[in-house]
Amino acid sequence: MQSISEWPDVVRTLFSPQGTFVVSLAVLSLGLLAGFLVWRTARQFMEELGVPETVEGTPFERTARSLGTSTVGIVSNLAALFVYIIAITIALNIAQLVQPEAYWTRFTAFLPDLFIAVFAIIIGLIAGDKAKLVVSERLRSVKLPEATVVPEIVKYSIFYLAVLIALGQLGVATMALLILLAAYAFGLVFLTGLALKDLLAAAAAGLYLLLAEPYSIGDEVVIGDQRGIVQEVDMFVTHVESDGREHIIPNQQVMRSGIVRVRE
Amino acid sequence: MNELRDLLDGLVADIDAVFLFSPSMSDYEALEESECTVVVVGPENSVDAAEFVELPIDFTDLEGRIRFGIEGALEQELVEEGDEVVCVSGFMTGTANAVARIQTNDFSPSGVYDLFVNSRAEPGVVRDIFEVAVELGKKGQKGKPVGALFVVGDAGKVMSKSRPLSYNPFEKSHVHVGDPIVNVMLKEFSRLDGAFVISDAGKIVSAYRYLEPSAEGVDIPKGLGARHMAGGAITRDTNATAIVLSESDGLVRAFKGGELVLEIDPEEY
Repeated sequence: MQSISEWPDVVRTLFSPQGTFVVSLAVLSLGLLAGFLVWRTARQFMEELGVPETVEGTPFERTARSLGTSTVGIVSNLAALFVYIIAITIALNIAQLVQPEAYWTRFTAFLPDLFIAVFAIIIGLIAGDKAKLVVSERLRSVKLPEATVVPEIVKYSIFYLAVLIALGQLGVATMALLILLAAYAFGLVFLTGLALKDLLAAAAAGLYLLLAEPYSIGDEVVIGDQRGIVQEVDMFVTHVESDGREHIIPNQQVMRSGIVRVRE
Repeated sequence: MNELRDLLDGLVADIDAVFLFSPSMSDYEALEESECTVVVVGPENSVDAAEFVELPIDFTDLEGRIRFGIEGALEQELVEEGDEVVCVSGFMTGTANAVARIQTNDFSPSGVYDLFVNSRAEPGVVRDIFEVAVELGKKGQKGKPVGALFVVGDAGKVMSKSRPLSYNPFEKSHVHVGDPIVNVMLKEFSRLDGAFVISDAGKIVSAYRYLEPSAEGVDIPKGLGARHMAGGAITRDTNATAIVLSESDGLVRAFKGGELVLEIDPEEY
C-alpha cells in the first residue's frame, strides 16, 4: 500500500501540471475499465463454479432476490466498487484535488481490508445458512424437538467465526472473542470425546472383529456370561442369541472378556 | 344414468372405511372431511395421512395390492375384522378409476403384510432380496432361466442347520444387499447350487449352503421341487423367510413359517 501513496509524487515530478491532469484522467478511465472487467470476470467465475446453485434457498440469497439482485451480483458489484474507489482515489491524489495527507490516502490503504471483511461476512452468512440446511436435512428422521437446536448451533458457530475474521481484518481487538472461541471449541471437542468414548472403543474393537472375523454368523460362542449363536456382527455390537433371547453385546466387552468358540 | 348412479351409491353405502391407493392430494383432502376412516395405501405417504399402509413392492395386480392394504390395516388396527370397506384404486392405468367394495373377512389372510413388516429381517432387506429375485427371474443367467434360493433373517440358526457345499465366496467379505454390486454378484453366483443366507441386517453371510431342516410335515403345493421344499422347511424350523425363484416356471415365491405366503410372476412385476 506504500507504493500507492508514493505514485502521485512520482507522477508529479515526471509531468508538467497539465500533463499530470491528463495522467489522472487516464488513470480514472483505466480504473473504470478495470472495474468493469473485474465485475464481469467475477460474475463468470462464480457462475462457472456453480455458486448460484449452491446458495439457492439460503436466507441471504432470498433477501438479495427480494432486493432485485443476487449473491453473485452483490459480490461482483462489491469487487467492482472496490476497484472504482481505488481508481478515483489515485486519480484525485495525482491531480492534487485533495490534500495528500488527508483522510483519503489512509482510506485507500484501508480499503482492501474492508473489502475482505465484507466478503468474509457474506461468505459466513451463506455458509452458516447452508450448513444449517444440510444438518437439518440429515436430522430429518430424528423426530425429537431437541434435534432442531443442533442446526441453529452450527449456523451461529459459523456466523461467529465469520464475524471474528471480519473484525480481525478491520484491526479491531478480538482477543476476548478468540478466547471465547477457543473455550467453545475445546468444550465441543472434549464433550464429544467424552460422549463418544464408549462408541469409539466399540468401533475400534469392531474393526478388528470385522476384519479378522475370529467368529462369524452361525458360530456358537460364549462371551462373558452369555452363550449362544452369533446372529450379527457390526461395527459397534455383536448380537448373540440363545433360547429366544438376543443379547446385544458392545464390542469392547467382547474384546475385554475374550471369546470362547464352542465346537461340540 | 340414474340407475348407474344408484348402483354406485349402493356400493358405497354404509361403509366403515375408504382405502385410497396412492391418492392425489385433492382426492385425499376432499375425502378426509367425511366421517368414515380414510386409509391411504401407497409406496410413500405423499399426502401425510394419519392412517397409512406402506406398500413395499409395486403390486401390478389389483388383488395383490388390495389384499396387502387390507391386511396391513387390520394388522395396524385401523379397521376391524368384518368391516365393510371400499377401495379406490387405479386399474390398468395409474389414476383412480376403480371402486371395489370388500368385507375384510371375505378372504383368508395370506400373511403378505406380515411377510414384509413382521419378519425377523428388516423390511428393506426383504424387499431388496425380492427385487433381486424378480430381476433374476426376468433376465435369467445369460438368457437361460435360473433358480435361486434366498434365506433371509435368523442367519445364525440357519447356518447351524445347514452345511457348506463348497468354500463360501462371501467369507470375510462385508457385502450387504442393496449395494449396487450385489445384483451382479448374486446373478453370477446363482449358477452355484445351494442357498444364499442373508442376516437380519442384510449382510450376505454365505452362498453354497446345503439346508438340512427336517422337512417332515411341511405342506407346500404339489409340483414344486426340492428347492422349494428346502426353502419351505427351513422357515418352519427357524424364524427365517425364504424367497425362492423357480427355475421351471420362473415364479418368485416367499415362504414363512413353513407356508407359502406370496407368489408373483416377475414378468408382470
